[in-house]
Amino acid sequence: MRLNILTIYLKEMKEVLRDRKTLIFMVALPTLVVPVLMNIMIGFIVRAEKKAQTETLTFAIFGSEHLPDLANAFSEEEGFEKVNIPIQEAIASAIEENKIKFGLVIPQTARVQLERDEQVAVQFYYNNASATSKVKNRASKVIREFSEKYRSERLAGLGLDTPQEQEHLLNPVTIEEHNTADLREVLGERVGGMLPYLFIIFCFMGAMYPAIDLGAGEKERGTLETLLLAPIRRYQIVLGKFLVIFTTGVTAALLSLTSMGVMLATKGKEITGELGEVIASVSVVDLVLIAAMLIPTAAMFAAVLLSVSIYAKSFKEASAYCGPLNFLAIVPAFIAMLPIVKLDWYWAMVPITNISLAIKELIKGTMNYEMFTAILGSSVVIAGAFLFFCSRWFEREAVLFRQ
Amino acid sequence: MIEVDRISKTFRHRKHKGKAPHQKDKREDGKLFYAVRNVTFRAEAGTILGLLGPNGAGKTTLLRMLSTALKPSEGTARFDGVDVVERPLDVRRRIGFLSDNTGLYGRLTAREMIEYYGKLHGLEQAKINKRMDELFSLLEMTAFVDKRNDSLSSGMKQKVSIARTLIHDPEVIIFDEPTTGLDVAAAEAILKFIESCKDKGKTVLFCTHHMHEVDRLCDFVVILHKGWLCFEGSIEQMRSDTGQTHLDKAFLTLIDSSEVNHAA
Repeated sequence: MRLNILTIYLKEMKEVLRDRKTLIFMVALPTLVVPVLMNIMIGFIVRAEKKAQTETLTFAIFGSEHLPDLANAFSEEEGFEKVNIPIQEAIASAIEENKIKFGLVIPQTARVQLERDEQVAVQFYYNNASATSKVKNRASKVIREFSEKYRSERLAGLGLDTPQEQEHLLNPVTIEEHNTADLREVLGERVGGMLPYLFIIFCFMGAMYPAIDLGAGEKERGTLETLLLAPIRRYQIVLGKFLVIFTTGVTAALLSLTSMGVMLATKGKEITGELGEVIASVSVVDLVLIAAMLIPTAAMFAAVLLSVSIYAKSFKEASAYCGPLNFLAIVPAFIAMLPIVKLDWYWAMVPITNISLAIKELIKGTMNYEMFTAILGSSVVIAGAFLFFCSRWFEREAVLFRQ
Repeated sequence: MIEVDRISKTFRHRKHKGKAPHQKDKREDGKLFYAVRNVTFRAEAGTILGLLGPNGAGKTTLLRMLSTALKPSEGTARFDGVDVVERPLDVRRRIGFLSDNTGLYGRLTAREMIEYYGKLHGLEQAKINKRMDELFSLLEMTAFVDKRNDSLSSGMKQKVSIARTLIHDPEVIIFDEPTTGLDVAAAEAILKFIESCKDKGKTVLFCTHHMHEVDRLCDFVVILHKGWLCFEGSIEQMRSDTGQTHLDKAFLTLIDSSEVNHAA
C-alpha cells in the first residue's frame, strides 16, 4: 500500500518539478519576488520620505506686510523658496499645478491682534493627498516656533519668567507613560498581521497550480482513467496526489518564510537601535513554530483544492473554481490583520484566521502555548477531515466521470 | 475469458425542459437513464470479440464497467471467473485497456511512464526492465523511449500507450478505437499487433467504427444500440442474418431493425 502511494508521489513530483509554471509559483515567486518587491518598496518609501524631508518647498504668502517677522522666518529657514503669484484666489490652482507646495494668508489685523495679546489665524493652503507629504509638518514647525516666541513674551509679561513656570501654567496635569508592552510586542502588533497573510497566500498559490494539474489536468488529458485502471485503491491515488500538492504548498510557504528570514538576517544587521534589537529577538524557535503552523494550513489547502480540481472537467473549469476559492484563504487571513481581532479562544476556533493570529502572536513574542497547541491540533483535525472528504469524493463516479 | 451477464448501468435522469413527449429518449425510465441495459455476451480465450455500435450506443460505459472504472447498476461481468464488483483489483491485474482518448504523461519519457505503470501493477524492477525490453523491441520503440511523450508523433504515442497497456502481460486486452487518428502505416502496425495477441491466446475485446477492421480481425461481434444488445454472433452470421455482403450495410440494417423493434 505504502509503495503504491510512494510510487504515485514520486512520479507526480517528477512531473511537477519538470513544469515551469509550478516552479514559478512554488519556488521563484516566494523566494525571489517577495524579497525583491519588499526591497523595492522599502527603498521607494525611504527615498520618498527623504525627499519629503529635504526637498525645497515653494510657497506663496499674502499679507506679509501685516506680519513681516513671520514672512522673514520662512525666508530665513532653509528649504523654503518664496514664489510670487498674482492674486490670493490663485493659491489653490497654483498648488494643483505644482507651482507652489503651500500658500499662507496673513490677515490684515494680525499686527494689531498680536499687540492686543489676541490670537491670529493664519490661513494655510496645501494638498494633503500624498501620504508621504511633509509640507504641513515642515511649514507648521516654522509657524509654531514663531508662535512660541510670542507666547513666551506674553507669559513673561505675566511674571512667568522661567520655561519651567511657563510649562506648569500651560500643562497643569501631565501623563507619565509606563508602557508594559515591549517594543517587539508593539511592532509585532503593527506589522505582524501582514506576514502570516503573505505566508498563507504563498501557501495557497504554491498548492493551486499542481492541484489543478493533478486533478482536472489529468482528467482532461485522459491519464486519470488509465490510473484508475491500475490495481490500486482509489484512496491511494488520492493520498499520492494530496502529498504532492501538500509538498508544493508547504515548500512555497516555507520558502517565503525562509527568504524573509534571510532578508531580515542580512538587512537586519544594517538596522541599528531598537528596531534592530527587535529583529534580532525573533529566534529560530519562533520561526520553527511559525513553520509548524503552516504545515496543517498547506494540508487543508491541498485537500480542498484537490477536491475542487477532481470535480472539474477541464483545466479551465478548475481554474475558474480555484479563483474564487482564493478568497477563502485571503479573507480569513485578512481578518487577522484587523486591529480589533485578537487571539482568544473564540478566534482560535476559526480556521486560517487562527493560524494567522497565532503567527502574529509568535512574531510579537506573546504566544499562549496552550492556545498554540489547540490551534495546531484543531488545524490538523480539520485538514484530516478535508482529506477524508476528498478521498470519499474521489470514490464517486459522478465526480470522476462527470459529463 | 470474458462473461458478461445481464449487465446494466443507470445514471440519474436529466430533466429536459421543454422537450416534447415524442422526443423522449427510449433509454429514460422514470428517474433513471439506462446507458447500458441488460447486456449479455461472452468471449472465449484466444478470440477477438468486436464491440460495435453507433456513437452514444453505450460502448464506453460498457467498457468502463468491464474495466472496473464504473460499477454496474445491475448484472455482472467476470474475467476468467473473477467478478468485476467483488474483486476489482484482481480484474485490473488481468486486463489491459487501451483507448484512443487515454492520454500520456507529457512531461515523462516513454520509459518512465511505462515503468511507472509496471510499478503500479506490483512488478519487480527486474521484471519491468525485461518486459520493457521485449515491448520496445516488439513495437519498434527503442529510438524514442527516452524522449518526453510531449515530443512524440501520434503513432509513437499510440505505441507508448500499447506498451503501457501490456506492461503487466494481461490475459484480456480491451482496445477502444485504437486506430483513430493514426496514419495508414501506424494503424496497420496496431492491427497486426492485435492479431498477434490472438495468436498468443489472449482474449481481445476490440471496439471500433471501422468495419474493414472488424472484418479482418474479429471472430465474433456484439452490437449495441441505445444501450441494448442488438446483435451477438459471428461475422458470417451478421451477413446471413441481414442478407448484406458488405459489413457496413449489415451493421446499418441491424441498427435500423433494432430501432424498429424498440419503437414497437
